[in-house]
Amino acid sequence: MLLLCGVLFLGACQKINYREEPSKDEELTGVKVDVSAFSGAARKLFVLNEGQMGSNNASLDFLRFPFGLYISDAFAKMNPSVGAGLGDVGNDIALIGDELWIAVNNSGIVEVISPYDEIEVAAISVPSPRFIATDGKYAYVTSWAGAYMDYSTFEGSNPKGQVYKIDLKTKKVEGSVEVGYQPEGIAYYNGKLYVANSGGLASMLPPTYSYDDTVSIIDVASFKVTSTVQVQINLKNLYSDGKGNIYVTTLGNYGDVHSGLYTFNVSNPTSVSLISNYVSVPAVYGDTVYCIGTETEFDWSAAHEYNLWGAKDGKKALGIPLDLSGITPYSFFVLEQNTFFIGDAGDYVNPGTLNCFHGGNKLWSVQSGVCPGHFVVY
Amino acid sequence: MISVCFGLNAQQTDTLSAASVSTYKVLPVVKPSEQVAFLPRQVRPSSQVSELLRRFTGVQVKDYGGVGGLKTINVRSLGSEHVGVFLDGIQVDNAQNMQVDLGRFSADGLSAVALYNAQKTQRLQTAKEYAAGAAVHLSLENPLLIWGESAGRVRLRAGSFGTVNPSLQWDHRLGGVMMRVGAEFLASNGKYKYDYFGTPLTRENGDITSGRLDVRLSGTILGGKWSLMLYGYGSERGFPGPVIRRSPEYPFSAERQADRDIFAQGGWTKDWNDFYSTALRFKYSNNYIHYNAHPEKNPMALPYNLHYLQQSAYVSVAQSLGITDFWSVDLSTDFQFNTLDSDVGQFVKPRRAAFTGALATLLTWSKFRAEAHIAYAGAWDWFLQHSAGGWSREDTFRDEWMPSLSLFFAPARWLEIDAFAKRTYRLPTFNDLYYSLVGNSALVPESAAQLGVDIRMSDRAGALDWEARLSPYFNHVDDKIVAIPTASQFRWTMLNIGKVDITGLDVKFKAGRDLGFADRRADMTLRYTFQSALDHSTPGSLTWGNQIPYIPLHSGGVNLSLQWERLTFSWDTTVTGERWSRTANTDDYRIAPWSLSDASIARRFLLEGLVNGSSRGFMPELSLGVNFNNIFNQSYQVVQGYPMPGFNVMLSAEFYW
Repeated sequence: MLLLCGVLFLGACQKINYREEPSKDEELTGVKVDVSAFSGAARKLFVLNEGQMGSNNASLDFLRFPFGLYISDAFAKMNPSVGAGLGDVGNDIALIGDELWIAVNNSGIVEVISPYDEIEVAAISVPSPRFIATDGKYAYVTSWAGAYMDYSTFEGSNPKGQVYKIDLKTKKVEGSVEVGYQPEGIAYYNGKLYVANSGGLASMLPPTYSYDDTVSIIDVASFKVTSTVQVQINLKNLYSDGKGNIYVTTLGNYGDVHSGLYTFNVSNPTSVSLISNYVSVPAVYGDTVYCIGTETEFDWSAAHEYNLWGAKDGKKALGIPLDLSGITPYSFFVLEQNTFFIGDAGDYVNPGTLNCFHGGNKLWSVQSGVCPGHFVVY
Repeated sequence: MISVCFGLNAQQTDTLSAASVSTYKVLPVVKPSEQVAFLPRQVRPSSQVSELLRRFTGVQVKDYGGVGGLKTINVRSLGSEHVGVFLDGIQVDNAQNMQVDLGRFSADGLSAVALYNAQKTQRLQTAKEYAAGAAVHLSLENPLLIWGESAGRVRLRAGSFGTVNPSLQWDHRLGGVMMRVGAEFLASNGKYKYDYFGTPLTRENGDITSGRLDVRLSGTILGGKWSLMLYGYGSERGFPGPVIRRSPEYPFSAERQADRDIFAQGGWTKDWNDFYSTALRFKYSNNYIHYNAHPEKNPMALPYNLHYLQQSAYVSVAQSLGITDFWSVDLSTDFQFNTLDSDVGQFVKPRRAAFTGALATLLTWSKFRAEAHIAYAGAWDWFLQHSAGGWSREDTFRDEWMPSLSLFFAPARWLEIDAFAKRTYRLPTFNDLYYSLVGNSALVPESAAQLGVDIRMSDRAGALDWEARLSPYFNHVDDKIVAIPTASQFRWTMLNIGKVDITGLDVKFKAGRDLGFADRRADMTLRYTFQSALDHSTPGSLTWGNQIPYIPLHSGGVNLSLQWERLTFSWDTTVTGERWSRTANTDDYRIAPWSLSDASIARRFLLEGLVNGSSRGFMPELSLGVNFNNIFNQSYQVVQGYPMPGFNVMLSAEFYW
């Protein structure tokens, strides 16, 4: 979802050239939902359902704004020749130029499709891809697996992850650079890439049995890691606000270290500050990072009470009243001021729900695929 | 298929071999719901126990495909954790995940495989037998020695998937001690064609090499019978992984597992007098697993290279008191200690000390019988490492009482009715509690309440005999333990949030006809299972009222067999109706119905010319057999994402001396 972050900023300054001829996906049918309250700027809200690992059930849904139709499993419907469907574990989706880039984690594929009709443009092999960012020339994809190719580095140690660099035009992998353990979120700002390293696997494996706690900073021109910033263990999502502030979330350790949102300014990356603890799901909109969290996050014996707040210019900015009772947020998207989409994964193996909130109230909810996790607007 | 032809033999195993013949010692309250019993020297239709269980009513065998693929059993939709698997009366358990891989058990050396839904009513059972929701009993065959000093068998089985499976069995008498030594080797490349989203591919990395060596000794000491079994099994296998979209640049899987199981179990049973008997049993087991995802061979693999060691020590004392010739009382007390160690990070080294006790009483007249028991299970769980990964685990004690009542009534010679009501619990597994999880010490045992009736009819008219069974039942599973991932896909937590209501019916009809002579016979079995297993966990949810995963509403089969002197032929067709791979019963997760047909032919040759002077019970004998499996080359999956093999052939040759 952070991809958005990296991308949204570009999106904000890029003008999307919508194609005007009828799209081939117009015959797809869906569930009617009420979108009359929103502004008509966007065509589609894409929802990437992660699916359950090993079940090959990642899927792509979209909400077609002009008609208020929620359409399920559009990739499989529009690409019957790709017999296997989208694949196993959809981990990230990004709008880059007039293409949608989707990281299909356990398929080892970055799928490029047209947002216009969901038809496949290219399927690029990247081992265990996680998150996507772009500088306008290349796509950069974090990967958990790059180092495994070299047997000599594996023996006795847990390999570090990589960032792969893919040419937007040729769709060819042009190289990779080693970052920290199990890199997750990535964003581009002003000639540099910022990568959140989690160590989610390293925490369970020899030799260190510990999480990573760093952000790797890559110089795009030389494609080398120029510095590493220590933030907090188990980092996840990373956003740039387009004004020089980098935001990064941590999941904590499910025990004595809580989740939270941290920030630093690119002018002084070693000066990291905690904005607030308790971040279950974040999203970025404009220059604001929105977070939904709960103080009882590691206690699963009772229902949680979730709160929504925002951060701007490196500070906690606002609390927003939103009645989230009955919902366990799994993913979060801000369409526009006061219009939120919240994915609920339910029991994580069956289809979840997408909940639409506007003006503080829940407008509707619709059945999504399994684990609705990532969004992009077109 | 065997269940048909050997009904006679089945009755022998119902009774006890106790010397005195009080009613309570010989008359069972309930009979096994399903049983396959083998005659001495009978050619086993398959080397794997899972293949036999697959054809029982009310049973689903989850099969991940191939010789080395995991095979677990689910009885009447309760979940495999509720099914106890007992080898010679002692439970084969797995504290880590309570999944017993039935593919590892060889039908070699077994005299019977029986399934009990209601409580098996034999005297001197272990307490754990009373505490199981449903029980699969694997009975060991006695050495085939009547007069001689030794006897044996060599067998070679070979066929599709590059499978080679030689085995040896040797029986010997050492004074008053009977000994059986068994050895078996299995190698298979696991390669078979399957449909990869419309493209034919070959399943890779599904090979297995395994070996088994066991020694059984039995005899008499201090006026009681003793037995001892030493068992060793080792295997090295690959896991081919689920069929998913995967970039052609990367392999599907390079995962390997090497494991070693060692156990020693035994017992001593003594009738002190006509009224009082005791049985002492023990087991020590040691299971080691080395799992390696081999990321250097597969860039998609997670870098796991892990070792697990599980140990268990178990002692059971059972006492039976016959108060009158129709009334007995049994008291069984078991104690068990489990450990699990691993080099997984933040591993807390769980330990469990569990006590199980059961007080049972049995009333037996010829036409009416009753059994009632109350079992108690208490388990203390603690950790050698309390705090790891930032969260601490609490030592927890969990206990439950488990009552049961079984009744038997035979209103007519041709009609028997038995009924049972039973509540059992399954404890959280070590995996549920501590392994790679955010722990939940509030977790309570998952409960299963069962209510069932068996109506059995049988008759014989001249050369024709038949029997029919009708078994309706209702089960309710509550506090079902369900895994829910936390924010990270690698950290899960367990919650008691599931509820399932199961209404089912098992129907079986068998008919046989003698064709002139005792060794010429034709049999037919029809079986049908109806199971409505509905999720009732969260009212108003998408899955409320839907069928739970992998349980077909309808399933059944037909079995035909013909014995013509020393030639036997059998045919079996199993049909499984539509299922869903998850509780959302949508088209995306629908698994189409499938049917599977197998046939086998075997011929015995008595080698009279090899008989020498020494008189022995059995004559040297050669058996040749061939099994044709999945004759119509059906493409099917038992577990979604795990294709099963198409048509395959297995040849076997056995020589007994």
